[in-house]
Amino acid sequence: MNWTTCLERLKKWPASQLIYDTKWGSWSLICLYISLISGIIVGLQYDLSEPFYSTAALDVLIPFGGYFRSLHFYSSQLFFLFAVIHYIVVFNKTESYSHNRRIMLVLTLPTILLLLFTGYVLRDDSTGSSAGIIAENILLAVPAVGAILNGLMFSITEHGMQRVYLHHVISFDLLLLILAWDHLRKNPVKVSHYPLLILLVLSLSIFIAAPIDPEELGRFYITGPWFFLGLQELLRYLPPFVAGVLIPGSFIMVLLMLSRSHRWFTRLLSFTCIWLLIYTLLSIIALITHG
Amino acid sequence: MHKKINSKPTLTRRLVLIGGSILLLYPLLRFITHRVPRKPVTIKVTEPLKQDKFLVKDDFFIFAENERVWAVSRKCTHLGCRLNYKENEDILECPCHQSRFANTGLVINGPSKKQLKTYKVEKNTDPPYFIVSI
Repeated sequence: MNWTTCLERLKKWPASQLIYDTKWGSWSLICLYISLISGIIVGLQYDLSEPFYSTAALDVLIPFGGYFRSLHFYSSQLFFLFAVIHYIVVFNKTESYSHNRRIMLVLTLPTILLLLFTGYVLRDDSTGSSAGIIAENILLAVPAVGAILNGLMFSITEHGMQRVYLHHVISFDLLLLILAWDHLRKNPVKVSHYPLLILLVLSLSIFIAAPIDPEELGRFYITGPWFFLGLQELLRYLPPFVAGVLIPGSFIMVLLMLSRSHRWFTRLLSFTCIWLLIYTLLSIIALITHG
Repeated sequence: MHKKINSKPTLTRRLVLIGGSILLLYPLLRFITHRVPRKPVTIKVTEPLKQDKFLVKDDFFIFAENERVWAVSRKCTHLGCRLNYKENEDILECPCHQSRFANTGLVINGPSKKQLKTYKVEKNTDPPYFIVSI
């Protein structure tokens, strides 16, 4: 059974029909809008010189601060989640896209991850600050250009949250806009068509608080952000450059090449699936054995 | 009669473009990568040691044994996470990947391979009890 037949059969299942009919791209964009607006609101009370204190103050001191932080957190997570589902669901349609257009759209996914990651770091609790320092050290492990990359991207040891904040609120957003601009222009979304989704995201944040680690002495295990867990486990066994750059980089490279018209499509697809499977397993190991 | 304009960049134009870009990139890279030398920092510790044995501060630990006092960095040499002190085992452990170090800074087990930085400590009988240069 080849890939096309398999996909066609899968599409006939009622549940998958629902998945195929859902406008994941529009959902993703709506969540991005909510994330941007709530991000501006949260940013009004965020203090770059006291990142942890100001984040904790949002939760416990500032009226509705916890709600807006939660709204920003969950809308951003949903934005990424829906974008990934959208990519999988419309994968076949991207065959008609030009090579450059497809590359730009695939690159939006790591850009969104970078936005999520910098958001995690900015709260500066034990998870956030450790994740930031680890990222800094991974970049420093890149031969020849490591210091330049770190100087551009993080440099937390030297400059605190300055660069992380800059990229979270400007650079990565701008990059995302450049990468997705053409796609968004060609596929306009009417916000008024999604009142239920908006209501759901707005209500979700009332009931579920965004995570933050309280300051506590003698914390012997720090679990990274959910998308960082597999990487955290890999760093235990492999050198930082291999675990932090080569392995995730290989996944992104394959994702950029992945197209049904590619002569190695089946191999590329197998690599993607196996990579994701191993990464998921590593994340589970990280959660179970050390969490 | 119209002359056909050659739209392909000539070799000289390309060289000028590449050279110009490098000339622009050079100051940018120098600017980004320059590190302002850090001022030497001395930290005055006004608290006495816990059980006359150890003290945990933000950036370092102070340990004492017999008459000897020393300070060890809290920055893990694997990926920079902040170490914690396991009092019952008298070891330092990283919360990110569980590298373990002796209180002298020597590696007990990895993934870390390098020993921790140690700092000079000046001991006083009155507060500040310790002055640590990092």
